Amino acid sequence: MLNRNARLTAAAAIAATGLALTGCSGTTGASTSGPVSLTFWGWAAGYEKSVALWNESHPGIQVKYEAITDGGAGGYDKMFTAAKAGTAPCLAQIGYETFASFLAAGLLQDVSEHAAPRRAEFPDWVWGNVGIDGKIFGVPVDTAPMGLFYRSDLFKSAKIEAPKTWEEFRTAAAAVKAADPKSRIMNLPTDPYLYAGFAWQGDAPWFGVSGDAWTVSMNSAANSKVAGYWQGLFDEDLVTSYPAFDAALYTAWNSGEVWAEVGPVWSASLIRDNAAGSAGKWAVAPMPRWDTADSVGNSGGSATAVMKGCANPKEATEFALWMSTDDKSVSNLIKSAAILPASASGLANPALDAPESYYGGQAIYQLFRAESAKVNPNWRWGPVMSTTASALGDGLGKVPAKSATFQDALNGAQTGTVSALQAQGFSVGK
Amino acid sequence: MSPVTRQRPSRLRELRRAAPFVLPFLLLFVVVYLVPAGYSVVQSFFAVKRSGLGLGGAETVFAGLGNYVRIFQDADFIAALGRVGFIGVVQVPVMLGIALVLALLLDSSVSRGRRFFRIAYFVPYGLPGVIAALVWSFLYAPTLSPITGFFASIGVDLSFVTDGALPFSIANILTWAWTGYNTILIFAALQAIPEETMEAAALDGCSGWKAALLIKVPLIRPALLLTLVFSIIGTAQLYNEPVTMKAVAPNLSSTYTPIMAAVRSLSANDFNYAAAQSVVLGALICVLSVLVFRASARSVT
Repeated sequence: MLNRNARLTAAAAIAATGLALTGCSGTTGASTSGPVSLTFWGWAAGYEKSVALWNESHPGIQVKYEAITDGGAGGYDKMFTAAKAGTAPCLAQIGYETFASFLAAGLLQDVSEHAAPRRAEFPDWVWGNVGIDGKIFGVPVDTAPMGLFYRSDLFKSAKIEAPKTWEEFRTAAAAVKAADPKSRIMNLPTDPYLYAGFAWQGDAPWFGVSGDAWTVSMNSAANSKVAGYWQGLFDEDLVTSYPAFDAALYTAWNSGEVWAEVGPVWSASLIRDNAAGSAGKWAVAPMPRWDTADSVGNSGGSATAVMKGCANPKEATEFALWMSTDDKSVSNLIKSAAILPASASGLANPALDAPESYYGGQAIYQLFRAESAKVNPNWRWGPVMSTTASALGDGLGKVPAKSATFQDALNGAQTGTVSALQAQGFSVGK
Repeated sequence: MSPVTRQRPSRLRELRRAAPFVLPFLLLFVVVYLVPAGYSVVQSFFAVKRSGLGLGGAETVFAGLGNYVRIFQDADFIAALGRVGFIGVVQVPVMLGIALVLALLLDSSVSRGRRFFRIAYFVPYGLPGVIAALVWSFLYAPTLSPITGFFASIGVDLSFVTDGALPFSIANILTWAWTGYNTILIFAALQAIPEETMEAAALDGCSGWKAALLIKVPLIRPALLLTLVFSIIGTAQLYNEPVTMKAVAPNLSSTYTPIMAAVRSLSANDFNYAAAQSVVLGALICVLSVLVFRASARSVT
């Protein structure tokens, strides 16, 4: 009796683990008969509805959407792990900043033959974020060009014009402090990805490709120029230095102690949701320029990538293109996630012409629509961005305490990135 | 010889009888603990080899001790080990000291409201670690903290999140969260001391604090040892508190503790190195635990 019981227990335990293990495996593939089935991992609001819209109108290609954790909060780790275990989905939402990391890990599929015919439907610079050497590995969904968000009421009463160049921005910063010694123009951008947008605009790329090798140029002269600008504002006490995305910063926006924010298009919702008390008093202007260079930075945006091992890359690409360009899908994404579409047809969507009451009735997305065409095309993300970003973030986090400078942070990230690349066997060129 | 041979069948029978009770645990232990740990050890001897831009994918090659050599050259990881070591050396004795005193107080016959305090001490342990860390983060945040605000109003410039203050701020959260747990463990051991022992001590003229320190404390050695080893392991695995506090303390590096460093390697798709980091941490904890047990066994004899 006892023996049998023991065996039963053992069998039950083994059966249970077996169940758990099969439960983990995703379906990547195709069935030879019946509709093609594709799995899609993402987290952005609205994706599920767009998938449902597709499934209604495309009975032959059924997409199964699985919501996962936000990429930066563990979603990417999940994808890496799944790819290693051979259970990766066919399609995955991947932010541009992490796209190259997946690419360099050899986890994405070249879908150039399916996507290239529709290249003209998206701005050129966006394609550089979803491929390499002209090859395409995914379809852009949205972009995040930057702009100047500012308290028009405070600027007006202090008789300060919205700055058009970084030179004017510095003058305005001093004027803000002069108008109200408790106030500053902006918070120091110490979040690595937010800061990247400023380097992006300043024609100071961090990465490049030279033949069959990656190049890392975070300590270039162009980068020192951008870093020096912010270090200067900080040293002259013209900016605040709250942690990025901290409640203290939101309070300062709300109370009018911080008058402006130069940030990507999604700062619109960030400010609106966290500084509700100053509704109607904000306005948006184009990002200040470096002298006469009419280009802006970008900080965010993502693509639908086709992962390696997907048995139906043609259908997967077809879906991804549809999601980014179809009127109904784009309208849904604008409505539920406030995205700025990457595609030309998406940018033409009339929903972007709506006035925003939080911004005093200004149709702010019209401005971003125009700015998205001016994003600097020379930027490229690197192959180990999580290492680069945490190394840079560690350095930038020390700036407010004055135990490091922006330049130190860039130097540290340069060293950390190069050694991480070499440790993983990548070629690093000059 | 003969007693041994006679004992064998009964032992076997005993084992058989115990099997149904032990097997479920053993199976789970093997599946969710030993197998992953073994897998990590195996992984740590391999490395992923890419070439050029990495587009061609990667092949896994045997790396021997390559990852371990890398660890000894990884200043960030070694600093992380040093940091948790420092936090442990400062925090564990303080916490266990407080726990011991509280447990002795609870156990003393003069204490009132014993049930209330027993539960009250335990409450912090019931709060999920991340929630506790969030609340403490708020109390530490330079611009939001009511404590910092109070000191600022009387002209004292106080910060809990400077590089120098961070280890102590983290140690404080740990102490707050875990003292009650250890108090209860020690208290349970105290309750198991036979009444006669204490009566005998009292007859010999040993009572009060003297009895507590000279009779009770030596008797609950095993429990103290257990809490010590648990605390060392817990501190070595520090993760929740610093990660949560990073939001208010950007100067806290992303490799602040060994586990944070391993997670960072994992995020960089550097699985094998992350495995090696975990193995080194695990091995250090093992060695440390064994040393503690051994040192105490020796001092008993």
